[in-house]
Amino acid sequence: MQEILAIVRMNKTGATKKALIEAGVAGFTAFKVMGRGKLVDDPAVIAERKAAMMAMPGAEEQDAEMLIDGFLDGHRLFPRRMFTMLVHDEDVTGIVEAIMKANRTENKVGDGKIIVMPMLDAVRVRTGESGEDAV
Amino acid sequence: MILIRAIIRPEKKDEVLAELSQAGFNAVTAVDVVGRGKQKGIKIGGVVYDEIPKTMLIMAVRAEYKQEIVKVIMEAAKTGEKGAYGDGKIFITPVSEVYTVSSGMKEL
Repeated sequence: MQEILAIVRMNKTGATKKALIEAGVAGFTAFKVMGRGKLVDDPAVIAERKAAMMAMPGAEEQDAEMLIDGFLDGHRLFPRRMFTMLVHDEDVTGIVEAIMKANRTENKVGDGKIIVMPMLDAVRVRTGESGEDAV
Repeated sequence: MILIRAIIRPEKKDEVLAELSQAGFNAVTAVDVVGRGKQKGIKIGGVVYDEIPKTMLIMAVRAEYKQEIVKVIMEAAKTGEKGAYGDGKIFITPVSEVYTVSSGMKEL
């Protein structure tokens, strides 16, 4: 039994939910979280995205460039959705693939992370069954 | 790889995040949580508060950085010289796999 933690973009919540159901995940929990990733060392990676954001309405305000830089290079925390679910060992690869497929974008950074952890035990409250049967 | 979950005071969040970034561990997820510890909450007057707001920091890192990160969080999250009740807890669990969605790469 493994626990999968997936941190994805807010606007990919629907796509992720759909992908999870198609991949056969029994149940999952989602929360809103704030987070940041690795620092972006090379400004060229985010140059295109920055240009697109600077063209948005409101970007001419004085602090806009500083804020956009902060979001894109990874200093600030920004909103993400965290999914957590329990899966059988043999299903891990398929589910990870499904999440990655649903969440990949052209933005180069910020698509999220998937963390797979071993889980010692699980109990279904309704019936009291435990272990693999409870997943 | 290991997963570090640190529960700290919300007012210490910015300080801990800045220290972690400076030490080279930028990637972190923060969640606002409520909870209580061994002291069963706080009693102020006749009222017991057992849902105390805290911030949980979640980070997946290579196992060799464990001591360093724990030290950074401990030093930044501590209040006063000796620390005080309510400064928080750090939990560490093993991780079997980590994937980056954008590149599809395994491991960090």
